[in-house]
Amino acid sequence: MSAAGSLDGFRVIDFTQGLCGPFCTMQLGDSGAEVIKIEPPAGDFARRMGPPFVGEESAVFLSLNRNKKSVVLDLETADGRQAAVHLARSADVLVEDFGADGAERIGLGHAQLREANPGLVHCSISPFGEEGPLRHANGSELVVQAMAEYTASLGRIGEKPVRLGADVASLNTGIFAAQAILAALFHRLRTGEGQRVAVSEFGSLLHLRGIMWHSLSDPDDWYGFHLDHYTAPPDYGYQAKDGSLYFILRRASSEDWDRLILDLGMEEVLADPRFGDYGRAATSIGRYAAQVKPIWEKAFENRTRDEIMSLVHSIGGDAVPFMDYPALVAHPQVSALGAVTEIDHSTAGKFKTVRPVARFSETPESIRLPPPKLGHHTREVLAGMIDFDALPKSD
Amino acid sequence: MGKILDGIRVFDLTIAAVGPWSTKLLGALGADVIKVEAPGGDRLSHAVPPLIKGESVLYISANHNKRMIELDLKREADRAIAIKIIEKSDVLVQNMRPGAVERLGLGHEVVTKVNPRLIYVAASAFGRVGPMAGEAGIDPTVQAFCGWCSITGPEHGRGEMFRHLAHLDLTTATIITRAVLQALIARERTGRGQLIEIEMLTAAMALQTTRLAEYFATGRQPDPLGSAAATTAPHEAFECADRKYLAVGVERDEQWPGFCRALRLSELISDPRFSTNPLRVEHRAELVPILAQRFKTKPAAWWTMRLNKEKVPNGPFLRFDELRHHPQVLANRHLVELDTPHWGRLHVDGLPWRFEGTPAGPIEAGGSSGEHTAQLLRELGITDDRDTGAAQ
Repeated sequence: MSAAGSLDGFRVIDFTQGLCGPFCTMQLGDSGAEVIKIEPPAGDFARRMGPPFVGEESAVFLSLNRNKKSVVLDLETADGRQAAVHLARSADVLVEDFGADGAERIGLGHAQLREANPGLVHCSISPFGEEGPLRHANGSELVVQAMAEYTASLGRIGEKPVRLGADVASLNTGIFAAQAILAALFHRLRTGEGQRVAVSEFGSLLHLRGIMWHSLSDPDDWYGFHLDHYTAPPDYGYQAKDGSLYFILRRASSEDWDRLILDLGMEEVLADPRFGDYGRAATSIGRYAAQVKPIWEKAFENRTRDEIMSLVHSIGGDAVPFMDYPALVAHPQVSALGAVTEIDHSTAGKFKTVRPVARFSETPESIRLPPPKLGHHTREVLAGMIDFDALPKSD
Repeated sequence: MGKILDGIRVFDLTIAAVGPWSTKLLGALGADVIKVEAPGGDRLSHAVPPLIKGESVLYISANHNKRMIELDLKREADRAIAIKIIEKSDVLVQNMRPGAVERLGLGHEVVTKVNPRLIYVAASAFGRVGPMAGEAGIDPTVQAFCGWCSITGPEHGRGEMFRHLAHLDLTTATIITRAVLQALIARERTGRGQLIEIEMLTAAMALQTTRLAEYFATGRQPDPLGSAAATTAPHEAFECADRKYLAVGVERDEQWPGFCRALRLSELISDPRFSTNPLRVEHRAELVPILAQRFKTKPAAWWTMRLNKEKVPNGPFLRFDELRHHPQVLANRHLVELDTPHWGRLHVDGLPWRFEGTPAGPIEAGGSSGEHTAQLLRELGITDDRDTGAAQ
């Protein structure tokens, strides 16, 4: 009954571990590709990320490895490398994070495979990029966030750095890697030619701060959030009696505006030029928003978040609550979007995760396989290809 | 050599950051991106400060590698021109408030009849169903809603926003670009276009896949941890003798012995409390004070030398003024300088990928609103028979 995904019939050989590469290849798997995850005998190191564990499985690992088959190969041995090369010859895509020259050292370099498999798309993921003094350096989520100045938009100047809680260096790069692979596959469909593509975590995070680099090119004034974020204090939204909210005013009429101000008992601001133009500059990213925030919060002191949100909605503004994970997951909008889905795992049981993001009318994304146990598909995938007795035992 | 998306035309009906950044990436891959704006453009795209020579950096930065056409889609003559361009397009991307594009007569059902090969992306903040259907949203609203502030902040302190209010916009944009590429592949194989729907909220949740996994596994809210990672340790910032902070990340067990040697704390290697990552995570409260005390005894430069020797991930907290001249950034063109006709010399984000067979780019400045209207209509063989001269 399920329609074919856009990558049905493509085979991906995935040598990556941790978060970044696995997030990339999970997107390819969601789109219908057959993803063969090659793991060392000890397994992807993400299998040991945690606690928390669900049964014996790392929750983090489970969240990044659906729609994949696990094959154990010891690339330290000649037999393991030979099997890997064999698989790479049968593949449409190879993804690796071996580091600079790492693929070449074990016979999996693009140039080495090209003759046998000219259509292969080879994607290499590195922490800092393939050129320059750090091309051999190892990276980590925090190290890349720190070097790409992500911590400059968090915390307070002079205090201990605060990172983004989300694993953006890894996951955002995983999206760029998927783009590069898809673009190269599209090119191959039109020309028959494969090629090598590369992304880096550092480059990805710097790209995603691009608006800011533009802002630092001789701006007319030092003003606007792309610049102010460097020196602003932490932003918690607007505090109401029972929680925080965020709101934006932008489409009010003068009657609406007057009603809001009267309802909130804020008559004194009607003469305040910072609240001019129906408060457009007094909330969100408006010019005076930071200055006048205490005035709003004074008015919100004795009102619940829901009361304020309905007032804002009633005059055509936008307002949302600040939510933690329990509130988010319980929110009816999240249910309406079906954003959380459930996967049944042979030993971890049922676990929840975020569904594939994009909804395609003709080639839908799907979850067909739970995250694999280590080496679960070794025999199936290598059947007829190699001598099993020569392989490490792990299953 | 041709570019990857040579011959692919994108009808870009996007505003603000989410839509424009996605089509900018398609432009960098070689697509012919035609950005449509109403006379005067949308306020959000052009007015958000900072400005350079009077133009918003948001508009400047999100619209490279495009040509700009002005169409007043509320007028029938302009709409007819839009339909003619859509007939000749491969992709349409729009991120207006749900319902807005339908009211302009350019909803999916209408245009797919004109061009069944069209890939049509409808992006929104909160989707088209549910109690918030049709509600608009920008980066900070989605930040507040999607839970990610609740996991970011000082250790066990109050959750805070990411003050650079664009990361979730651009994350959504990159998922749109990925989805378009997927649909182009599907179209090569099936001959048909399709509708793709993407919400910022789901994209923001997917970006937190690993952190939501912790919540799903335990039923407990993961607290903010300052600079520390939740499921690997030691993986946080340490203050050194020169009061500089150093970011350090031991994500793999095989990095642990080298880390201990670098700190001259070899006795920790075999300490049963710390021998595996799960144990170090569990005993982080015991481990971190030992390490913090150690790091305070020598300047950051010393620890960097020691950790590099052992290949343990570490790095400084850099700022733009250091990054713009950083040899790694220059060697990989992660940031580039670009001369533009309207806005002078700009610092620009480099391309996020490298293609060895079919190089992407070069990055070329887009234009001012409507700059290419006449050129584009001429090129597409469309007669401009509108009664007023939006397109002189």
